[in-house]
Amino acid sequence: MESSGYVTLTRQTGLMKELQAVANNLANISTTGFRKEGVIFAEHIERLGNGEASLSMATASVRNTDSRQGPLTQTGGTFDFAIEGEGFFLIDTPSGERLTRAGVFTPNAEGELVTMSGYQVLDNGGAPIFIPPDAEAISLAADGTMSADGLPIAQIGLYQPVDPTGLTREDGVRFASEAGVEPIEGASILQGFVEDSNVDPVSEIARMIEVQRSYELGQTFLDKEDERIRSVLQTLGR
Amino acid sequence: MRALTIAATGMSAQQMRVETISNNLANMNTTGYNARRAEFSDMSYQQLARAGTISSADGTVLPTGVQLGLGVRPSSVTVQLAQGSLSQTGGDLDVAIEGNGYLEVTLPSGQSGYTRDGALKRAADGQVVTSDGYPVVPDITIPEDARSISINAEGELYAYFNDRVEPELMGQLTLANFSNAKGLEAIGGNLFLETGASGAANVGVPGENGLGTLRQGYLEDSSVDAVREVTELIEAQRGYELNAKVITAADQMLAATTQLR
Repeated sequence: MESSGYVTLTRQTGLMKELQAVANNLANISTTGFRKEGVIFAEHIERLGNGEASLSMATASVRNTDSRQGPLTQTGGTFDFAIEGEGFFLIDTPSGERLTRAGVFTPNAEGELVTMSGYQVLDNGGAPIFIPPDAEAISLAADGTMSADGLPIAQIGLYQPVDPTGLTREDGVRFASEAGVEPIEGASILQGFVEDSNVDPVSEIARMIEVQRSYELGQTFLDKEDERIRSVLQTLGR
Repeated sequence: MRALTIAATGMSAQQMRVETISNNLANMNTTGYNARRAEFSDMSYQQLARAGTISSADGTVLPTGVQLGLGVRPSSVTVQLAQGSLSQTGGDLDVAIEGNGYLEVTLPSGQSGYTRDGALKRAADGQVVTSDGYPVVPDITIPEDARSISINAEGELYAYFNDRVEPELMGQLTLANFSNAKGLEAIGGNLFLETGASGAANVGVPGENGLGTLRQGYLEDSSVDAVREVTELIEAQRGYELNAKVITAADQMLAATTQLR
């Protein structure tokens, strides 16, 4: 009978989570290759016994990753690559192969092309890419073919998850795909550009205001609920 | 209330970006300076509901689960290796490197330092040194009675004398290159040190094995692009404000909670 407060409480905790998602998006507004995240609420129905109406609560059940292309920024770096279109770079981490769109790479001391965290970037055959240290100029064709002084050395692989909804986020703008990855065609790679975060500050701020006001609404409701019970107790207790 | 700390990581990230930009702008006229760029990456994620969790007795699974991010952290500040434009100075010991490579100098500690600042000078004993007085490797000494000197693209230093027609070869400047020049450690004074990440120096003659060539009478300008830095500065400033706004919102939500009876 007194469950209206609890129902509002599920909404309030959900809004807190949503604000956390907004805060994370805005904190990552300058993170190369970052993908905006969202929380989707779903109804959670609790059956009450004895012919009473069922109770509907809101739970944050699904995460949503926005896969829209972020704007490209020109950096002029030889090993700064941006993907135009769908797809991810494949990198080899100690915990397995991971996908990323943050194309800021560099050759390491051994000449292998690595990410800024030191993980190898893989080519279209899944092998590490070796950059000859004495190469004067490295150029990249739109299909990912890298050439050193005009001679092709490797083709950077672009991959997509087999199950796009099964992506798990990891730190370092990496995504793990449990179902595995497969090569993708049709996307192009640009040299000298990096892809910015695809967070849109205007919509995030709008969402934040909405969250804030909904939260206040919930608090007002709880206040009124409290008043109602108080007056019931006062009336009956007389 | 994690939103507060998340927004704080966002603010410190933007602050670091402003610091990088201000260092770039401060070095707009530093010979051989390459602009730095701060790179960020997201922090670890809080798993509220793991993807693939069984969601009903029928064996259906959550397709995506719920993951909430915990903010941002700086991942690297990388040197944007780029050839700066060359300014003519006319100095006979000013050499600009066109292409890859660094001049090697011996630091007072005995260690090797590397620099692209080719504003070389002559020490009292005629030795070729950098502006800080560190000798260039290999040692080259210019005789006192040399009338003029010339340095060719391959780094060969010739001295001309009053009593001779033919110039005399005094030595050859070499260049050092690295597998990962971004991995060099900057120590100030336009100098870099070799690190485990950069790989060992590959010393060679200018113009060979991918090394650049030398140009006498020129110096390499800073590769900082003022327009890009200022646009980045505006972006960073707005990014900072946006994160501050989140802190205000989170604070107001907390205030609403504490005011509940």
